[in-house]
Amino acid sequence: MAAYVFRRTLQAIPILFGVAVIVFMIVQLAPGSPIDRFRTPRVSPAQLEALTRLYGLDQPILDQFVKWITAFVQVWRRDAWGYSTLDGQPVLASVLERVPATLRLMGLSLLVTIVVAVPIGVLAAVKQYSWTDKIITTLATIGYAIPSFILGIYVLYFGGVVLKMFPLFGMESLGRGGGDIFDLAWHLVLPVTSLAIQQIAGWARYMRSSMLEVLHQDYVRTAKAKGLPRARVLGKHALRNALIPIVTLLGLSIPALLAGAAITEFIFSYPGLGQYFVQAVGVRDYPVVLALTMVGGLTVVLGNLLADVLYGVVDPRIKY
Amino acid sequence: MTNAVDAGDVGLLELRDLKTHFFTQDGTVRAVDGVTFEIRDGQTLGVVGESGCGKSITAMSVLRLIERPGRIIGGEVLLRGKNVLNYSDQEMRDVRGNQISMIFQEPMTSLNPVYTCGDQIAEAVELHEAISRREAWGRAIEMLAQVGIPEPARRAKQYPHQMSGGMRQRVMIAMALSTNPELLIADEPTTALDVTIQAQILELMKALRERNKMAIMLITHDLGVVAEMADEVVVMYSGKVFERADALTIFEQPHNPYTRGLLASIPRLGDKRERLEVIRGVVPNPLNLPTGCLFKRRCPYAMPVCDTPPPVRQVKAGHISRCWLTPESEPPSIGADAPPEVAEAAAQELTVAGR
Ligand SMILES: Nc1ncnc2c1ncn2[C@@H]1O[C@H](COP(=O)(O)OP(=O)(O)OP(=O)(O)O)[C@@H](O)[C@H]1O
Ligand SMILES: [Mg+2]
Repeated sequence: MAAYVFRRTLQAIPILFGVAVIVFMIVQLAPGSPIDRFRTPRVSPAQLEALTRLYGLDQPILDQFVKWITAFVQVWRRDAWGYSTLDGQPVLASVLERVPATLRLMGLSLLVTIVVAVPIGVLAAVKQYSWTDKIITTLATIGYAIPSFILGIYVLYFGGVVLKMFPLFGMESLGRGGGDIFDLAWHLVLPVTSLAIQQIAGWARYMRSSMLEVLHQDYVRTAKAKGLPRARVLGKHALRNALIPIVTLLGLSIPALLAGAAITEFIFSYPGLGQYFVQAVGVRDYPVVLALTMVGGLTVVLGNLLADVLYGVVDPRIKY
Repeated sequence: MTNAVDAGDVGLLELRDLKTHFFTQDGTVRAVDGVTFEIRDGQTLGVVGESGCGKSITAMSVLRLIERPGRIIGGEVLLRGKNVLNYSDQEMRDVRGNQISMIFQEPMTSLNPVYTCGDQIAEAVELHEAISRREAWGRAIEMLAQVGIPEPARRAKQYPHQMSGGMRQRVMIAMALSTNPELLIADEPTTALDVTIQAQILELMKALRERNKMAIMLITHDLGVVAEMADEVVVMYSGKVFERADALTIFEQPHNPYTRGLLASIPRLGDKRERLEVIRGVVPNPLNLPTGCLFKRRCPYAMPVCDTPPPVRQVKAGHISRCWLTPESEPPSIGADAPPEVAEAAAQELTVAGR
């Protein structure tokens, strides 16, 4: 197992390098440039020229890339990921500072998602074609189809404006910083709800189909033929097998969760990585965009690795 | 239990006019359509017939394992004289895996891949007998040894994928027998296995049958297996029983043309025939059954009268056949109970054919 993880980690290096190349090219090809925001009538062409040279934007792309990537991997250095062109802060530090907030949001959403979606999906499968199933399937399809930013806005409007029970933005109340758990939780309710609803829809559908497939397996019939009560047949023999693909999904869904978190954070002005990213894209803060896209790529690779490792843990047929 | 054996005549299991139909989008499939037979204590009943004739569905109906869109729509399944179709779910669970065990047709997929073999056997024992987990595990190992699995203690801890098909089928048998059932339903227990393993499994079943004094309902389309194992035989075709008799009669004096067709298709040692006779044609589409006799389109003896559903005739005591041919019919002659105009037409046809 350890050897397998090590091998997979080594394999991840060329993949991440490829990601770096592509990301760098996309940023190059994207319209606009980091100095665009200085283009006002009061800034002279000579000054723009000087800025271009300052940021190294006049050098060949290959040189720019090599310079960026060699610095980027030296994560033990404070300036490894460069400085934000917006606020001049070191990007690495800003990213690390926001990681806990995003992890909290993602982790809680995932937890809520699983706790809600798994029973719903199982229920729909066990009662296939019944009204329960039809209602669940319809709601899940709708939930799946609603764009996440619209859903987020509705959740915000309903929870914050109509019910007036939850804050409209932020991670903690002003002047209450310093980790008051209840305050943090109170601020998380709406973002977590919003992010979880999108995820629940997909997971419930997936759980339903996974369970349906298992219910028609011969070993479920064997369990029934033994005389086991229905609850044991479903809970022990069917569910355990139906969860195998779900556990794999856990790893694979992390990148999508991160993407969902970005939009949610933006809508709820929640100071995490996502909000940081959306804001950076808006002002072409290239060092931040590059760094966060690499973080995204790393998440995909790690999620895949996690999926494969978990698969081996839950399915005795898999050996590394 | 001894009482029941003494009573002799109260069959262990009796099916009466059992009907299990599947209500599919394309129409109704009459998978089991009026099946009647009986199994007595300690007896081995062979159920034979071509693929799709309803053997497995009959067996699953006995344990009420039919899933939608299928439904048992009529008849009785009498277990020691009581109709299990009226049992509550709880009563049914006490029958399953306890009084009646079943081995399924698919040894490769019938065991749960995420639990060890020992665990799956112990689970059945623990369920039906008031014993501890440890004792149940002990019994599982004992059962694995009984079905001839070497190193049973080690094998019990293995998962199904670590075993071959033959081994898995033995595990299934061990599981089925672990609770000492009165009836074992074995659905094609050897079909998926290669010939040597097949012979071993049959020997094993014979030995266990003697030791445990249990009855077996042996489903197969292999008449060789039937010849080796069965006391009585039920021949099924398109959801109906076509012939039923003791094994010797089925092999030596079959009455029904379908049974004769099946027998003609078994290869025999020293066979001089150029090619095996197989029954011409195919099993009728269950969604579009012919009227009258279901076998008429393939039957070498088909007559006009066969457009009317044939009677179930008693050929002799304990031997019945679903056919218009009379018991003495060799060469075939039309039954005297046919409607007169049909009989006349048939007689004419036979004369023409005879020339
Ligand atoms: N779920 C289902 N839906 C519709 N028809 C079904 C279903 N299950 C079985 N049948 C039909 O019931 C009939 C009997 O099937 P069954 O499995 O009992 O055949 P069998 O005699 O066991 O055949 P084999 O020798 O291939 O195992 C077949 O015509 C089959 O098409
Ligand atoms: Mg079958």
